[in-house]
Amino acid sequence: MTHTLHRVGTVESLRGDWVVLCMPSKDINHEGSAPKLQRFLKICRANHCVTLGDCRGGNEFYQGSQEAVLENVEDRAVVTATFNNEKDLVGVMKQLKEEDLGLSVIVSGLTDHVEKCCHEAGLKPHTVEHSLGRLGDTAKLPPQEILAIATMCGHSMVAVNFIYEMVEKVRKGSISAEQAAQELFKPCMCGIFNTDRAAKLIKALVA
Amino acid sequence: MQINQELCVACGMCISRCPVAAIKKEDTLVHIDLDECVECGVCKRSRVCPKSALEQQELTYPRTIRSLMSDVLTVAVESQISGRGTEEMKTNEVTGRFKDGWVGIAIEMGRPGVATRMYDVEKVAMAVAKENVEFEKQNPVTSMMSNPQTGMFKEELLNERVLSAILEFVIPIEKTDVMLRLIQDVAKEIHTVFSLDICSKVAADGSIPHKKILEKMGIWFSPNTKINVGLGRPLFQGN
Repeated sequence: MTHTLHRVGTVESLRGDWVVLCMPSKDINHEGSAPKLQRFLKICRANHCVTLGDCRGGNEFYQGSQEAVLENVEDRAVVTATFNNEKDLVGVMKQLKEEDLGLSVIVSGLTDHVEKCCHEAGLKPHTVEHSLGRLGDTAKLPPQEILAIATMCGHSMVAVNFIYEMVEKVRKGSISAEQAAQELFKPCMCGIFNTDRAAKLIKALVA
Repeated sequence: MQINQELCVACGMCISRCPVAAIKKEDTLVHIDLDECVECGVCKRSRVCPKSALEQQELTYPRTIRSLMSDVLTVAVESQISGRGTEEMKTNEVTGRFKDGWVGIAIEMGRPGVATRMYDVEKVAMAVAKENVEFEKQNPVTSMMSNPQTGMFKEELLNERVLSAILEFVIPIEKTDVMLRLIQDVAKEIHTVFSLDICSKVAADGSIPHKKILEKMGIWFSPNTKINVGLGRPLFQGN
């Protein structure tokens, strides 16, 4: 999840990719945090999140359903949701401010837009983290258009070869881009892989 | 991870699921290259094997660090959270970890998706340690060092391969320039990739302290960021 700031893509593509994460802090406010984390997920769902997940317990594929993800949240969990538009992002931020859960909330996305959404929701950025890109033997990385999909799982659980396989299936017409995106979501245990954006990226790849 | 050859029908369905391409098909045999495997568990969790032939073997030290650093569902003892990092800036409003006048640096070795041997992690750690950084104690990577002052790792870990290993530390903001140049230099000496992060607490006037330095240095930074919106309580009392 640290990797949410490293999501690769064009500015246009990133306009449809917002990640909201909620977590307690060890020994400060983690005791009794589970119901608040559950509430966070419910707020995200009410505000039309694309995906949701629990980095500690696993995504809905692993746990069986979204309801199971919600039920099994523990005190030390880190929970996430993705959104595909700023209106819903502002909506969730406003509600989180109103409900004052007392847990840390982190929003990833295009900086200027997140700052604008913060302002609209009555929030002020406290700490900001930037990506300075990828260094080292970067020849080992896949092409940018594949990296744009792969980096939506910061833990690299979505294999590059799996992405190629799904793209090829879409190209051949055996599955839709949306179905491919759902398949690619499954290994991302945090549930932070934005299926809506993935489907759009796959469609652009096969066009 | 291993493949039970008595059950495997060599369909090859699992091959594409491996994030580090450690599952290979040779003639009619599908097997896992254990030297390349990072023990992330993705292949088994995918439930793609029609014969349930993927089996987790018992891991013993030092191989256990592959799972710790690669399987997202493994909880680290030091941080008590899943994932390979720490709370870092995500809870800064309550921990006060990154204070005014300081910046946080994270070097996410092996990411995205390339993986890393620990000897490359050591190479970068030893380079930045020359600037007297204090590596984050809650990060499991720090506990793998034989000497956190020098960035040297325990020898038995050096050839272990992991999906990622994050070096985390804070530095006075005036050292940012020197540190980033040093990181750029050592990046030329490794056989993997890393993603580089920098963070700081937003100033009273709303500006982002590290952003000014990056602009002055002419260093590229992403148009997207991660922003802590300050909702955690109780707020850290201090600067």
